[in-house]
Amino acid sequence: MGRHTARETRPRDATVSPARLAWRSFLRNRTAVAGMLACTLFFVLALCGLVLTKGDHPILDPRQVRLVDKFRPPLSLPTPRAVAPEALPRLGIYPLGTDELGRDVFARMLEGAFVSLSVGFVAVGIAVIIGIALGGIAGYYGRARLGFGTVRLMTVDTLITGLIDVALSFPSFFLILTVVAILRPSIWNIMVVIGLTSWEGTARFVRAEILALREQDFIQAAHALGVPGPRVIVRHLIPNAVAPVLVSATLGIAGAILTESGLSFLGFGVPPPDATWGNILSDGKNFLFDASWLTIIPGTAILVVVLAFNLFGEGLREAFNPRLRQL
Amino acid sequence: MLTFLLRTGWKKLWTLFFISVISFAVIHLAPGEPSQIDPMNPRFTPQQLERYRKAFDLDQPLHVQYVRFYRKLLSGELRSFKDNHPVMPKIVERIWNSLPLFAVGTLLMWCFAFPLGVASAIRRNSVFDQVTTVIVFALISVPGFYLSYLLIIFVVQNFHVDVIGLRTFGRPDTPGVLTLMDRTWHLVLPSALGATAGIAVISRYVRSQMLEVITADYVRTARAKGLEEDTVLYKHALRNALLPFVTMLGLLIPGLVGGSVIFETIFAWPGLGRLGYEAILSRDYPIVITLNFIAAVLTLVGTLLSDLLYMVVDPRIRLEGGEV
Amino acid sequence: MRVKRLLILGPTLVSLFLLQSYFWVPTFEDQARGDPGRLTRYIETSIGDASILNPTLAADSSSAAINSLVFEGLIDRDFDLTFRGRLAEAWEIFEEAHLLVDETQSLPDGSAVTGDGLLRYLEAARAAGDPALRLVRKIELLPGETRREQIEVAAPGAASGKPDRRQVGVTVRLPARLKFTLREVDQDFFATLDRLLGGYTARIDPTRFVTAAEPVVTRERAAALAPPTEHNPVVLFRLRKGIRFHDGHEFDAGDVRFTYEAIMAPENLSPRVPDFEPVKAVEPRGRYAVKVTYKRLFEPGFGSWTMGILPEHLLNREALKAEAIRLGRDPEKFSVRDSRFNRNPIGPGPFQFAEWKTDQYIRLTRFDRYFEGPPNLSEYLFRIIPDLLTAELTFYAGTSDAYAAQPHQVERLTEDPRFQSFSRLGLGYTYIGYNMRRPIFQDVRVRKALGMAVNVQEIIDYVLYGQGERTTGPYPKQTEFYDSTVRPLAYDPEGALRLLAEAGWRRNAEGWLEKDGRPLAFTLIANSGNEVRKAVMVIAQNAWRRLGIRVETLTLEWAVFINERVDKGDFDAVVLGWAMGLDADIYQIFHSSQTGHFQLNFVGYANAQADELMVRIRQEYNQERQVAMARQLHRVIAEDQPYTFLFVGKSLVLLDRKIVRMVRDTTGSARYLPIVPDKLGGIKFHFTQWVKTPQPVLTAN
Repeated sequence: MGRHTARETRPRDATVSPARLAWRSFLRNRTAVAGMLACTLFFVLALCGLVLTKGDHPILDPRQVRLVDKFRPPLSLPTPRAVAPEALPRLGIYPLGTDELGRDVFARMLEGAFVSLSVGFVAVGIAVIIGIALGGIAGYYGRARLGFGTVRLMTVDTLITGLIDVALSFPSFFLILTVVAILRPSIWNIMVVIGLTSWEGTARFVRAEILALREQDFIQAAHALGVPGPRVIVRHLIPNAVAPVLVSATLGIAGAILTESGLSFLGFGVPPPDATWGNILSDGKNFLFDASWLTIIPGTAILVVVLAFNLFGEGLREAFNPRLRQL
Repeated sequence: MLTFLLRTGWKKLWTLFFISVISFAVIHLAPGEPSQIDPMNPRFTPQQLERYRKAFDLDQPLHVQYVRFYRKLLSGELRSFKDNHPVMPKIVERIWNSLPLFAVGTLLMWCFAFPLGVASAIRRNSVFDQVTTVIVFALISVPGFYLSYLLIIFVVQNFHVDVIGLRTFGRPDTPGVLTLMDRTWHLVLPSALGATAGIAVISRYVRSQMLEVITADYVRTARAKGLEEDTVLYKHALRNALLPFVTMLGLLIPGLVGGSVIFETIFAWPGLGRLGYEAILSRDYPIVITLNFIAAVLTLVGTLLSDLLYMVVDPRIRLEGGEV
Repeated sequence: MRVKRLLILGPTLVSLFLLQSYFWVPTFEDQARGDPGRLTRYIETSIGDASILNPTLAADSSSAAINSLVFEGLIDRDFDLTFRGRLAEAWEIFEEAHLLVDETQSLPDGSAVTGDGLLRYLEAARAAGDPALRLVRKIELLPGETRREQIEVAAPGAASGKPDRRQVGVTVRLPARLKFTLREVDQDFFATLDRLLGGYTARIDPTRFVTAAEPVVTRERAAALAPPTEHNPVVLFRLRKGIRFHDGHEFDAGDVRFTYEAIMAPENLSPRVPDFEPVKAVEPRGRYAVKVTYKRLFEPGFGSWTMGILPEHLLNREALKAEAIRLGRDPEKFSVRDSRFNRNPIGPGPFQFAEWKTDQYIRLTRFDRYFEGPPNLSEYLFRIIPDLLTAELTFYAGTSDAYAAQPHQVERLTEDPRFQSFSRLGLGYTYIGYNMRRPIFQDVRVRKALGMAVNVQEIIDYVLYGQGERTTGPYPKQTEFYDSTVRPLAYDPEGALRLLAEAGWRRNAEGWLEKDGRPLAFTLIANSGNEVRKAVMVIAQNAWRRLGIRVETLTLEWAVFINERVDKGDFDAVVLGWAMGLDADIYQIFHSSQTGHFQLNFVGYANAQADELMVRIRQEYNQERQVAMARQLHRVIAEDQPYTFLFVGKSLVLLDRKIVRMVRDTTGSARYLPIVPDKLGGIKFHFTQWVKTPQPVLTAN
């Protein structure tokens, strides 16, 4: 364990920005880097999936029902006489087999990749935006008092941390379940609900960071120069508070994908015929004994992608934490 | 210290109030009716439906419903729509069922998370650390129900043994070692699965806390003083790294309600999570709101407990009397 | 270091302790050996828990399963579906009919109508052997009576615009009436009688007998209050003697009357009220006979007496009051629904209630004094496992004795030597319903074409894995009412296109069908959570897309689906199913009067011929005539295609092969018989004879 002697900060590093320091530290963490590469790969895959499976006459058709060819194992050929020519798979083979309606699992997984990714991104996007907004306002304007006339009720900070407390107090999965069970089943509702129930962490982090940053010299300087409040927040504070947001966003995507698959299992997921990995998996569970590839494939896929995001996010967290960094 | 307590308490009360309003309001946006009334029964007339709605207070304006509902809830008189039984005894019965699962799960979580986290921190970036990291993360990245099924099928196919439910069904429930062991066996799979997420998260947290502490100055001082490595690590570093976990104890309490819906459904465990899920499906308003309410109350209690413990443990707060 | 050792020992010890508990637990092999009592227990699994163990109040299938073992009805269905007596030994069905004496009219022979005069005229005709009176046993003259009643009247509200409802008092002065006691029920009795009386019945004006302070008495209201003719069918049950409830109390006619009153009492909120609403009175005739009179002709009402009879002594007013006081509740508001009886039932059935752990299991034990002799099994356990896969696994592990296989598992499981399997056709059917209020569906050719485009056999073969049969009409195939000569629509997409062309729908430039510039497009909806219906939707959508019809699909959660769309008639086409009973009455589903919101004819079907058949079927007590009319109705509806009738599902039940029937012959030794399904495909007919043997005793079937 002689590494800790190398932690003396060398003089020339004083001019390197904290971002680069973090990046260098991140690169030394092999699992985190592997995670990042896997995430990028998944991203590319999802975009390909979108292009290949969209529209009425897609290149790879995820919705074509071929009852005659149901439950074909991976790498099997279609039965030519029984399947109509326009219904044959474009690749001439079922790379990942077919499901209970004879649909091409490969095409469905590609379609599902984009949907799962977008569920993650939109949900987290919503959470992050709300989190940054509320955290920023609480951190910066925290001491402003609210009230009407001369009656002063409470500070902005108290109000927002109160909101955070309320939001945190609800058992989130249960609440998501309740709301999703009430609203019309659709992708958007699920995304919005997941987003609306996961902003608290980000808000807290941002608030803490801004509270810490607010007293620093460069902010005082900005005030002295007369830079208006919102501009200070947007141009100076938030970019510096970005680190914890990135971490929770990355981890949040992983969580959103898992939550969506949990909802599918309970019957409240994205409705057909849209495919997400979550509902391919929960549809396949009925055929665990008879067509196991229908669960193994999406299950493994979800595992790999979520794992990648988790490792990536954890790596980021370690890299951004100056006390954990290694150089 | 007293001001801290009072201030916290006051805030918690307001939070509680808003929680009660929100959970009540959310439920009432639903268009459906309690599912016991099946309008598809060919011999059911609309008048029947009306009669039910009256009996269950659904015709009153919302604020009247709110007041009446919470009055009934607090007086213990609230009844489930499904079978007209009081809600509170149902929930209490289910808590007794969820408790052993929760307790064993928590026990497993703490027992495994600490050694794992500490060992990973000490052996940072070694093969051990990297392998455990991947495994631990894999466990939280896999969809919970998928892993459960794989495990159940594995055990049933290979060991021909029952893993569903509280105990081996149909066996006479005579008290004694046999029954105790039977119940223990049935706890193993569901609590282990429930604990995996917790183990992963906590062990990572332990690891990062340990890492922070290990690189601190006083640890270097201890080493420089020539103390044995083990003493340095386990006596000094660990104790300080553990400070935040004391407060985590409080935050575990809400776990009793929240996350176990999926596992309880799969293992046919009659606990709170399943009660909530089935109540949602059948629009059993009293149970859903009560559960949400109780969960929120438990969370508030948990955070209050955490705050108190934190206050006890962190001398800075005690002295300054402010919030952190 | 102490802490370090603790950190290592801790998890090790905990895991060892947890894992070693495996060795104490019974496994599949050990189960029967270590616990011989297991062989006398029968364990069944269910997805949902029972809700109320009271046959008059329960509405779900789990409660029904338990109630069928704990309670008995007056009658039930025999092996071949005819009615057989249970608590009732025998019964007689006849009719009492009433005719108003209208003194403003005259008889065909010119004399004025009086009570005595009419009576003598008809007695004379009967003596002369007039066929109109051939079923009459007795004619009596009843005196007139006067009564006051309140009727509810809607009047246009002044300011609000919404109709006001208010009560108006009316006086009903019934004149003398003739009461006919008929040997059989005859719905045409008055029609034929009127020929004899020269149209007398038709000319009776009921408004003469009803007066009110305000002019609110319409002909319809008057006819309801003072009907010129009234049919009152009667069922006379003779009850078995010596039947005991589980607490030893003896069953008698008072229990029957009490059960009826408990159902009809509004504070009990019974879902069975519509089944018993046509009953006018239930009167005990001594301890072991009951006379049930009906307000009007309603043949399906007889089948309602298969419902379990409640013990009066535990649920009557005094018992409820005592219970309320014991529980500290208000005795005035305490109803049957509040009673603990619903969690702790007492009935005369072969099994008695022992224990109920909510959402875990319900336990019943053998009742030794059952009137047909005690059952062979000593315990019946109803276990609640909400997840299908888990239920399947407990079946393989030997901790449950029956399993309802899913269609895709049928092939694999029927070949498994450990199990015996029984296939049965369901009583319900799945269909695609077309909303006839939408212009595109008003042409029968369009509906037929849509049906012809869907390959139903393919759905059965591939979605149901062959576990289904085509159906062509609204009745269950196992009943006499289904007309098997009706042929299903052929799968003929070209024919469908031709039919659509006839109706004016042609392909446009993009390949979609259109007529007068408007495309043929609609939305097909179904409820979420049902895999089969989802598949049907997708397949239909695809099939219609190939024809050139643009179809959107939508799945909705059940409550929203039913309340917001189906019940309000707010849909184009819907995939749904009906669960049918064994009687011939489909009035509520297809009659043109049942098309309002929240009624069951939500597709808006209206056919005068079908309407008349449905009304007559309900009123026909003669089995042969009813069957003939039902078959005709089937043909009419099949011709009209308000639904595309798709299929009836088959279900497969698996039992451990070691379960068989056992009877004792005259020497007292045991004989083993195989379990055989009845006409409906059910296997529980001889449930009281079931046993589980340590090794299989019968050769494979």
